[in-house]
Amino acid sequence: MQPRVTAILVARNGAKHLERTLKALSLQTRKPDIVITVDCGSSDATAKMLAAFGPTQFIAADADLNFGQAISAAVRVTTPPTHDRELLWLLAQDSAPEPNALEALVDALEIAPSVAVAGPKVMEWIAGEYIHNFGESMTPTGATVTLVESELDQGQHDGLSDVLAVSAGGMLVRHTVWEQLGGFDPALSVVDDSLDFCVRVRLAGFRVSVVPSARVASAGDGVAGPNQSSRGRLRRRRVRAERSAQLHRRLVYAPAGALVFHWLSLLPLAFVRSIGQLLRKEPGAIVGEFAAAFGAAFNGMRVGNARRSFAKTRTLGWDAISTLRVPSNEVRRRHSLKREASLFGLHGERPEIRFFSGGGAWTMLAAAVVGIIMMVPLLGADTLTGGGLLPLSPSLPDLWASVGYGWRDLGLGFVGAADPFAAVVAVLGGVAFWSPSFALVLVYALAFPLAAVGAWMAATRLTDRGSLRALAAALWVLAPTFLIALADGRPAAILVHLLLPWLFFAWFAAARTWSASASAALLFAAVVACAPSLAPALLVVWALSVALAGRRVMRFIGIPLPALALALPLIADQGLRGSWLNLVADPGLPVPSAHAPTLQLLLGLPGTDGWAAVLDRFGVVGLDPQLFVPILLAPLAALALLALLLPGARLASGAWLVALLGFGTALAANQLVLAAIGAEPVRVWTGSGLSLYWLGLVGALVIGLRSLHRFASTPGVVAALALTVVVLPLVASLHLGTAAVREGTGQTQPAFVAAEAQIDDRVGTLQLVPQADGGLLATIERGAGATLNQQSTVDSTDQTLSAREKALAELAGNLASRSGLETSADLAEFGIRFIVLQPAGPGVEAADTALRTETALDGNAALAPVGDTEFGRLWQFGETDAAASTPLPARAGGVFGLVTLLIALAVVGSAVLLSLPIGAGREAVRQANRDAIRRAARADAKQKPKRARRTKVVSDLEADLEADLAIDRETGVGTGLESDDGFSDDAAVAEPEPVEDDNAR
Amino acid sequence: MPDRSQLARIGGRAGRGVLGLVGIAVVVATLGAATLVTLPTLERDPQSSEIKPLPSEQQRVCPGPLLTLAEDSTQAQAASSVGAASAVYGAVDARSFEQIRPQVTEITAVDDSNSRQPPLLLTVPVQNGASLPPLVAGSQSQVAATDTIGGLAVAACAEAVSDSWIVGGSTDIGRTSLLLLSNPTTVLATVDVTVSGESGLVDAPGSTGILVQPGEQRVISLAGLAPNVKSPVLHVQSRGGQVAASLEQSSIRGIEPGGVEIIGTTATPATNQIIAGVRVMAAVSEETVTTGEGFNADTPSIRVFVPGSVAATVQIGVTSDDGTVEGTSTQVEVEPGIATEIPLAPLAVGSFSVQLRSDEPIVAAARTAVDSAGGKDFGWFSASAPLEGSFAVAVADGPSPTLHLVNSGAADASLTLTPSAGTPVDLEVGAGASATVPLANGVVYAVSGGSQLWALVDYSGDGVLSSFALNPPGPLASSIRVYTH
Repeated sequence: MQPRVTAILVARNGAKHLERTLKALSLQTRKPDIVITVDCGSSDATAKMLAAFGPTQFIAADADLNFGQAISAAVRVTTPPTHDRELLWLLAQDSAPEPNALEALVDALEIAPSVAVAGPKVMEWIAGEYIHNFGESMTPTGATVTLVESELDQGQHDGLSDVLAVSAGGMLVRHTVWEQLGGFDPALSVVDDSLDFCVRVRLAGFRVSVVPSARVASAGDGVAGPNQSSRGRLRRRRVRAERSAQLHRRLVYAPAGALVFHWLSLLPLAFVRSIGQLLRKEPGAIVGEFAAAFGAAFNGMRVGNARRSFAKTRTLGWDAISTLRVPSNEVRRRHSLKREASLFGLHGERPEIRFFSGGGAWTMLAAAVVGIIMMVPLLGADTLTGGGLLPLSPSLPDLWASVGYGWRDLGLGFVGAADPFAAVVAVLGGVAFWSPSFALVLVYALAFPLAAVGAWMAATRLTDRGSLRALAAALWVLAPTFLIALADGRPAAILVHLLLPWLFFAWFAAARTWSASASAALLFAAVVACAPSLAPALLVVWALSVALAGRRVMRFIGIPLPALALALPLIADQGLRGSWLNLVADPGLPVPSAHAPTLQLLLGLPGTDGWAAVLDRFGVVGLDPQLFVPILLAPLAALALLALLLPGARLASGAWLVALLGFGTALAANQLVLAAIGAEPVRVWTGSGLSLYWLGLVGALVIGLRSLHRFASTPGVVAALALTVVVLPLVASLHLGTAAVREGTGQTQPAFVAAEAQIDDRVGTLQLVPQADGGLLATIERGAGATLNQQSTVDSTDQTLSAREKALAELAGNLASRSGLETSADLAEFGIRFIVLQPAGPGVEAADTALRTETALDGNAALAPVGDTEFGRLWQFGETDAAASTPLPARAGGVFGLVTLLIALAVVGSAVLLSLPIGAGREAVRQANRDAIRRAARADAKQKPKRARRTKVVSDLEADLEADLAIDRETGVGTGLESDDGFSDDAAVAEPEPVEDDNAR
Repeated sequence: MPDRSQLARIGGRAGRGVLGLVGIAVVVATLGAATLVTLPTLERDPQSSEIKPLPSEQQRVCPGPLLTLAEDSTQAQAASSVGAASAVYGAVDARSFEQIRPQVTEITAVDDSNSRQPPLLLTVPVQNGASLPPLVAGSQSQVAATDTIGGLAVAACAEAVSDSWIVGGSTDIGRTSLLLLSNPTTVLATVDVTVSGESGLVDAPGSTGILVQPGEQRVISLAGLAPNVKSPVLHVQSRGGQVAASLEQSSIRGIEPGGVEIIGTTATPATNQIIAGVRVMAAVSEETVTTGEGFNADTPSIRVFVPGSVAATVQIGVTSDDGTVEGTSTQVEVEPGIATEIPLAPLAVGSFSVQLRSDEPIVAAARTAVDSAGGKDFGWFSASAPLEGSFAVAVADGPSPTLHLVNSGAADASLTLTPSAGTPVDLEVGAGASATVPLANGVVYAVSGGSQLWALVDYSGDGVLSSFALNPPGPLASSIRVYTH
């Protein structure tokens, strides 16, 4: 009896590929005896085409049938098999067999009766010389392995015959075996359905074989076998389906005894694998990971059914197929080979940063020299003091304890939210883990080279000319706002200036890679933590990026998340108070600043330029700094404006938008007085906004100059030199003595108190500071004194007085007066052991208050004067251990503190994992390979557009590929044809953009 | 003829240029508008509490009898008291004006080799449940008529403070100045005295670290610290305990005494100083004043001192207390660190109030003299601090005691003078006006109804002249603004 072949063709919305498939089917040298076509609820011309083909049977099925179910539906209309030479040929809409395919397959089954399943060599649809899929197997742990994929077919695998499994599309299977095993497992919808079937075939005692001479092209439409598109959503769905299938098979194949352990491991594994997905830059896969785990855990019926039917047909033990499995190390070896190949391909096409050859290192060195010249008076300092600089807590656990919602050991202490800046300080302190306070010295020592490197790297996004990058670095380092922040001792503002170029650097590449996107998110969080006033401006830029991102929106949408997670407790705190505006108050020690005239802000100066004092000092007359400073800064502004007229104007307008946002921020900050220290109101620092303003200006300038090509050098040098002249007094501020920052002793309390704090780290010191209005600032410091990490805007913006504060005020007021109050009890109650009266500032009223307070304290019989110290006059209260020590409250944050901490940890931790520059995962590499092949085919097709009989097909594919390539840009695993974010989209139009490869990270 | 694509390119470029110009216009307009527009500001005021210290016991020290340096040349620095001063004192409750009897103890005058009558220390404890300290007043007077000292010296019993200024005295030929430092506290006081004169700061060895034991009075001859200084200004600072300082000045004209005075402390440096009363006993015309150094010592004058380092422009306004006589107004430039004497002329006989307005903090006091048949005397009239609220006046015995009041506040003051014996007197002092009230000897008055008054009591008669200013309790008892974050 002749073998009888029933070809079953399943199609779902496959009109695009169906024509070629149907034509190929009709051209078979060995025609199938029966052709059954199944249309799974297509909405396009598929049904018409299938019917027109003239099949033996045409079945119109539901759309939700998967491949296995559609085949089963078709099998049901056939007559039951009477002998094992009745064969089923499973085809999908995109399974175009070569003319001799069926003949070869039938031959294979004819020759070897023990073979129950024969699979063709599945080739790429377009790039026909590439193998799409040839034989499948499993690792010893059950992971799916495709034996051969994405390889150029040079006959190197034609010796292959016995395999563990073959793919579903083009598979020829004996009808009897199909019936015996009950077809595909309905729980496996697309992925691994044929693998599972073949495993069952194998364990039922049959063989599975591949037939190299039978070739079937597949387009990866997702009808038979998973969809191969790199489009984000489809890709995520495929990854999820693969994981679901793997878990399902694990539960089905597992021995009954191990089932419980497998079941219990589902969720923990999902967590662990999610971290892996973050590291592999596949955050989109995490949802699928958990969905697959839950799906596998809670559909016992499916697993049970599958286990029963599997047990029913199984005749052999697992040992029978152990030789057909692929060892795990072999899988790893193959992956690394492929990865190398794909990375090699990626690297060749992208311009590199060339930090050393491009002059970056020299720029950094020059900046370091200028920095050393400016910082000469601070050389050799162990700690810095003055302005907003304070020591950090001496140990890392202490530093991290001041992060999040909990006890703020500031003054009287209170339960409240830490500023996100505390987290930045903690990270910073970790850099100098042996003595965290030294981190601030490091910031000062490295401020210039770090700023230069940041600006240089940011400039690589705009130009590949080393000279322009160096110019950008020079302009950024010499930014007046940066120099004033350094002189004033504003650590947060310094950090903002150091981080902003990196934020731009990462943001620019965020559209391309998840790594850059997550880095941008972390930098965004750090910048906003250092300068909350920048948040509105940055959010506007973010909203614009999201709006312009198109398909890459997911890369941008999460950028503010870490900042939000860090600020959550603070937002809750200030929100409860109903003072949302307080959220933009500057973190750290409040440093008062004068109201700056708008014209001065326009020049990028948050404070005075220092020229008036310098001219006065050296007796120079006839020069008006109000006149010559704007004139000297004019070239810079003119060049930045010129950029709007030159090629690249759209990018320049983006830069100007950033500049205007920064200027607006500075302008608004100038009008906001939110905090206070004693009687002195503290304005929001305008310098951070001006840093953003300067970033936009320098960006526009670089964009303008790069369009001037060889004429760029003179104006650039002129602008830089003019700026250098303007900032001379600022660079020299430490030498002139106009800077607030100076070398510190590492202490904020008299040595006597510091020594006592060694014994009792909760010893209380009442700090009394005479105020300019004749008032007195009274605060309690515990232990060795105030630290930067304990500063809190919740405290500095507080508009209420608590009962404890009133009591303290009462005590301090009476201590500073000739009073009848018995102060000993109160001093003991507050845990005060020392009183320091700080020297008064200038002003008669402050001096009067200082005198009065000193007189009163001298006359207080309960206090023993210790003497004058560098921090003021010191009194001691009582004998040692007279005042009870006040312990630190434990777990003051409560549940809210814990929950917000966990949220912050999860969000920031995810961002950190995602930002780690670790190579793309296995799946991404596979995808990259597939895409590379298709791209090559497209290029090939373009070169030879008239190649015989493919013309029509190719033109069809053109559109298909265009769509796919558009997606490549999104996936970040492409080859460098991608463009950048919202801004550079414009630039890409204007001229070819030198872009840099982040993919390797 | 350019083809279509060329045209398109030119058009594109032109369009881009126009767009660029529009962009520049937008940027410049935005920045320009920002500089022109006045933006609203949001300012949160710092939070503070006004703390009124709990009242504590009040102490006043009377300087004690007049002293003279020993004639015995072996003990040139030793002082001995001459005669006895009579003191009048009293205290009233700040609300009910009920009389309270002060506790009177004595201060040991260790430098007085003839300590027959030691200085008095008045102590008034806080009454139970009182929220305001009691009003305490005391003054003493003494008429001296020896070969070396003659004239009337009255003085207020003063509160001990840690920082005080005395403008007055002289160590010129024929002048003797003795600095009296009393420490009523229980703590040792270490006193530094800084003397500035007409030629600047006087380098005075021994002027620092003067120890005044608790409950003791020290007498220091100013000539020992700063000899031959015509116009000394003293800054007395104490550490530890506080001291009540006063300066006794006497002069000899030829062989007859030229007068005596106990000069109390003047108001601490401020840009606005008020001397509530200056009595001029003999009219001065412009001619009688010789400008420069050597104007007549009897000419009414004001000694002004700028403690800072910047020259001050001082506006001196002299107005008659009762408005009967015309006052004067002069503006002088006062060098910093140099005690400057400014003659007050021309002036008619009468009583005046003097207001000094300066652009830098200053200290000041005025001096006038009397030379009549009854003898010669001079008087110092010190600036004082404003009295906010009620106060008490104790009138020591002497010729025609007169209370001078200046109301510098914005509202008229309706005052009631409640004497310890007798009927209360009502008095109206208009805003910015001054007034004089004759007082009775040996009576303690409680003055209520004022909000910001400067007050001084002077005594004048035939050949005698003296005064003491009334000062509020020290700033240590005043309320203070306390910030807690």
